Amino acid sequence: MKVLKFSKTHEWALVEDDFATIGITDYAQKSLGDIVFVELPEIGRKLKQNEQFGVVESTKAASELYSPLSGEVIEVNKEVINNPQLINEDPFNKGWMIKIKISNIKELDNLLDQDLYKEFILKEEK
Amino acid sequence: MYRTTLYNLYKDKSRLINFFDWELPLEFSSILKEAKATRESCGIFDVSHMGKIEIKGKDSLSFLQYLTSNDISIIKENQLQYNLLLNNYGGIVDDLIIYNLKNSFLCIVNASNTKKDLDYLIKNKNNMDVEIIDNTFNYSFLSIQGPSSYLVMKEIFGNKILDLKYMHSISKTFKDTDLIISRSGYTGEDGFEIYCLNKIAPYIWEMALNINKDLVFPCGLGSRDILRIEAGYPLYGNDIDEDTNPFEASLEWVVKFSKDFVCKEKLIYLKDNIKRKRVGFILKDKALPRKGYKVFSNSKLIGEVTSGTYSPNLDKFIGMVYVDIDFAKENTFIDIQIRDKKYSGNITSFSFIKRRKKNESFKVFKDT
Repeated sequence: MKVLKFSKTHEWALVEDDFATIGITDYAQKSLGDIVFVELPEIGRKLKQNEQFGVVESTKAASELYSPLSGEVIEVNKEVINNPQLINEDPFNKGWMIKIKISNIKELDNLLDQDLYKEFILKEEK
Repeated sequence: MYRTTLYNLYKDKSRLINFFDWELPLEFSSILKEAKATRESCGIFDVSHMGKIEIKGKDSLSFLQYLTSNDISIIKENQLQYNLLLNNYGGIVDDLIIYNLKNSFLCIVNASNTKKDLDYLIKNKNNMDVEIIDNTFNYSFLSIQGPSSYLVMKEIFGNKILDLKYMHSISKTFKDTDLIISRSGYTGEDGFEIYCLNKIAPYIWEMALNINKDLVFPCGLGSRDILRIEAGYPLYGNDIDEDTNPFEASLEWVVKFSKDFVCKEKLIYLKDNIKRKRVGFILKDKALPRKGYKVFSNSKLIGEVTSGTYSPNLDKFIGMVYVDIDFAKENTFIDIQIRDKKYSGNITSFSFIKRRKKNESFKVFKDT
C-alpha cells in the first residue's frame, strides 16, 4: 500500500512498505522559483526525522531540505543534480530526491496527510 | 512603498518584491526564462524606479564635471555617458548615466541612491548657477533590450529610430508629449531606453507587449540582475560603494585625469596603489556563489564574492569578486567556500558575454 505524507517544511514522502521516496512539494518549488542547484546526501547516510539531508538553491534563495522520516539513504536521484529544473517541472515524479529505508514507521503519525497539508499552506499564505 | 505608473498593469501578472521601498516585479514567468528571452529575442523592463535628476543652468557642465570622474565635455548634445559620482576620498557615491540634452543634463541614478545623490548635489551647489530638479516621480523609464528590440522600436516609433547609435539619444514627440529615447541598457544587448512622462508609459508598455507574444517578454528585476552580471556590469551596493574606488572596481576607463574634479589628487595616488581588484569568475563545479562567500587560492583567503548567479545563457555559475591584487589575473584558480564545502573555478575576463552591437548574434567568451 502506498501512502503520501507531507512535512511542515514542505517535503513529501511517498511510503511503500518499509521504503519512502522523498521530494519537495509543488508549493515549495513555486515559492522558491527557478531551482538551479541541489545538494543531496551520499547513499548509506542515516537520517533522523527532521534532520537536514540537503540544500536546494533557486535564483532567489537557498533552502534546506529536511527528512520527513528517519532512515538510511538507499538511492539518490542523480537526474535532479544534473538538471535541477526537473524539480520545478515535475516535483512529485521526476523531481524526486532520495529514497530511504524507513527505520521507524511510527513517525508517519507526525506527518500531515494531503488535506491537512493543504490547510497548512493556506494558513501559511495568509 | 512607492509604485510605478505601470503597477496596475503588472501587479496580478508578476511576483512582486520590495526593492529599496519600490514594489516592483521580480519575475513574470521565470527569472531564467526572462534572462534567456532577453538574449535571444526581446525583454521589456519597467525601471521607472531609477532616480531621474535633471541639472539645468549656466554652470551645469562645470558643476557636474567637478563631482564626476568621466569627462562630460567630450559628449555632444544627444549623447549619453556612463559616469561616477565621487566623494572627496575617491569613493563611489553612485554610478550613473548622464544624458547631454539640449538645455540640461539628465542623470539616471540608482533607486537606492536617489535621495543621497540629491543631497550630495545640493550640498555641493554652492554659488553656482544650477538648478537641480528631481523628475523621479513624474517620469517613467522603460528598457527594451535584446536582439529583436529594434523590431519593437520600429513598430512603435517608426523606421528612423533604427538610425540611433549606441549611447546616443533622440527627442521625439509621441501622443503630444516629448520623450527621450536612447540606445543603451544594462544587459550587454542591443537595446533602447525610453524616458517619458508617467501617463505615456502604459501605452508604450502595452504596445510593446502586444506586438508579438513570442517575441517580446515582460521581465523583472531577477533577470535584470542575471543579465547585468553576464555583461560584467557592477551593481551599486553589491560591487561598488563609497568604500570602493574606481581603480579597484575595474572602472579605470571612467576616470579622466585630463579634467579637474573633486578627488583627482587622491585618485592619481590610488591609481598605482590599489590592494584589491574587482574581477569576474566562472565556477567549474555546480554551486551557487552568493554575496559574502569567501574566496581562496591554495587555501589563502583572497577575497569575497560581491555578486553571483547561475547564468542560463552560459549554463555556468558566475560572479564577481574583489581579490587581492596579486591574484587579479585571468585563469587564476580559485575555490569558493559554500556552506561546508569548497567549489573550484577560475578568474576570468570581466564580461562573460560579449556586448552585442546592432543586429549581431550574441557571443559567449570561450571559457577555460
